[in-house]
Amino acid sequence: MIKYITRRILQSIPLLFLITFVLFALMNGIGDPLAVYGEARNKPNPQQRMEIMRRLGLDQPIYVQYVYWLIGNDWAQVDVRGDGTLMELGRRKGVLRGDFGMSFRTRQPATQRISERLPNTLILMIPSYVLTVLLALAIGVYSAVRQYSFFDNLVSGMSFFFYSMPIFFIALMCIYIFGVQFQRWGLQPLPIGGMYDPGKTRNFANLLPHLVMPVFCLVAIQLAGYVRFIRSSMLEVLGQDYIRTARSKGMREQRVVRRHALKNAALPLITLIGLDIPFLLAGAVVTEQIFSWPGMGALFIESLTYSDFPVLMVILLLLSIAVVFFQLLTDIVYTWFDPRIRFN
Amino acid sequence: MTTITRPEGDAQPPATSVKALDRQMERSVIGESNLKRSLRRLRKHRMAVVGAVILVLIILYVLIGSLIFPESSSNFLDTSKRLMAPDAAHPFGTDQVGRDIFIRTIYGGQISLFIAVTAVAVQLAIGVTAGLLAGYFGGLVDTIIMRFAEAMLSIPQIFLALIAVRIFANAIPDFKIGGREFSNTLVVMIIVLGATSWMRLSRIVRSVVLSVKEQEYITAARSLGLPPRRILLRHVLPNCVAPIIVSATLGVASAILLEAYLSFLGLGVRPPTATWGSIISEAKEFLAQGNWWYWFFPAVFIVLTVLGINFLGDGLRDAFDPKSLK
Repeated sequence: MIKYITRRILQSIPLLFLITFVLFALMNGIGDPLAVYGEARNKPNPQQRMEIMRRLGLDQPIYVQYVYWLIGNDWAQVDVRGDGTLMELGRRKGVLRGDFGMSFRTRQPATQRISERLPNTLILMIPSYVLTVLLALAIGVYSAVRQYSFFDNLVSGMSFFFYSMPIFFIALMCIYIFGVQFQRWGLQPLPIGGMYDPGKTRNFANLLPHLVMPVFCLVAIQLAGYVRFIRSSMLEVLGQDYIRTARSKGMREQRVVRRHALKNAALPLITLIGLDIPFLLAGAVVTEQIFSWPGMGALFIESLTYSDFPVLMVILLLLSIAVVFFQLLTDIVYTWFDPRIRFN
Repeated sequence: MTTITRPEGDAQPPATSVKALDRQMERSVIGESNLKRSLRRLRKHRMAVVGAVILVLIILYVLIGSLIFPESSSNFLDTSKRLMAPDAAHPFGTDQVGRDIFIRTIYGGQISLFIAVTAVAVQLAIGVTAGLLAGYFGGLVDTIIMRFAEAMLSIPQIFLALIAVRIFANAIPDFKIGGREFSNTLVVMIIVLGATSWMRLSRIVRSVVLSVKEQEYITAARSLGLPPRRILLRHVLPNCVAPIIVSATLGVASAILLEAYLSFLGLGVRPPTATWGSIISEAKEFLAQGNWWYWFFPAVFIVLTVLGINFLGDGLRDAFDPKSLK
């Protein structure tokens, strides 16, 4: 077991290097990282501009920049003036030594920018994901057990409908009904943006009404796919011989469904969850935008607008590590649920 | 692994009468071609037919609409009629500068559909090539292509697309076709959507290639000295047609959604070219004023189109899936 895990971790290291290199190369093409200085009061002249570029290592070829990003440049002399005299040592330590760089935009460490936003995203994503999975299990199993009943047909139709719905449609409808129209009808409207009411203490009671609409929209959209998935894997299991055997030996239906069917139908669900969980960290770009939620998706768009590489790279690095980690975890959990699989 | 499959047999009611059974037997004995058999199954798939009808209606809407109303009327603005609710003259109301939303959904729809379909063509070109090469040649080629695909899959597609939009945004100039002016972002969108969605398709194609490449007829073709290109295109590729058709169909739906998301975020197609998504993006500024028609109608078109494609794609999957033969 430990051998297997070690091997998997070792295998994933080259993948992580590949991912980060590809991302790094892509980042290089997105635009001028010094554009942010365009807003400054003292715009740098071309010479100063070159100095800043050199100091940040942005004049180097892409692979050198990547090496600097990985292991830092405090061992390399930087030729700030560009006249061949090496002026000063680099200041960066590199990602592998825990230095993720400074945000070009706010001059804060990139990791600090992330740690400000990540909790906000998790506050939004975790409740909606937990709700989605629980509701999907309940609806999917119930619907599969009563295949072709009115309820099942309704669920199938609805899930197709919501599956095809862009999230902004349902979000705009919610805002229109519960935010705008409620006010006209003299009802208490739900807040349509932000995490807290401005000027009030930031506590749970203040947060809750702000959570209602975004969570509802996320659940409504995600639920459809999960219900379809659970229903079909449940139907597949219910058609198996051992289910018939269990029924024919007089086992109660409820027990057949819970003990025999659900346990096996849950296996593909575990894989699906393992693949989806890392993306919760990315937040929901569109939903965060609509409800002005200060999360990771919003941070990504903001950093992209300002070509803020260090922040973008940390977000993407965090995601890729999470993907690799959860894939490994999924495989381990899988063997725990399914004794037929052994590490060999 | 995340593809959501429908249980087998969901599509077709079992043959009830002896006569029907006999007909089915006869057909399979005569040796109907696979494609014909699949098409016959598709015609019986009620949802697929509904989906196809919805799609045909939407295509007719955007095509016939543009014959009746000239392109200039979609950009005709009358600021005295800003943000008017739907009435007889403007069935879907007017937008922030008094343009008719009904006509804008016609022209926006053309662009949305055009982008989605061509983006899928790009996706097919990349995905099928990558899958064929990786599966057929194996070894280092396989490792490089598949690791690269895996790397791209570990980043959410919308992030990749957002980065790609920035990369390509300044590389292509605006252009004119047939007197209509198009924003360069139109081409950018097509490339971006195609280049960020080929990974799953290439995996599917690769797995099909792996399963056929050891068969005798491929060995025979190889021993005849045929070049790899001919073997791949003539003997291997036809085996992948079914999964390619299914994933291309569903790909159009996700391309429409992603295009709408990017446009909604203001990073999609820029004016003067409108798409369903970009109309909604304009509308969100006026949300608090309660003019629902501004975003509602374009959004309904997106939902109907995606729904239609998903119905059809689902039907195609059932029709091609050999497991549902029984």
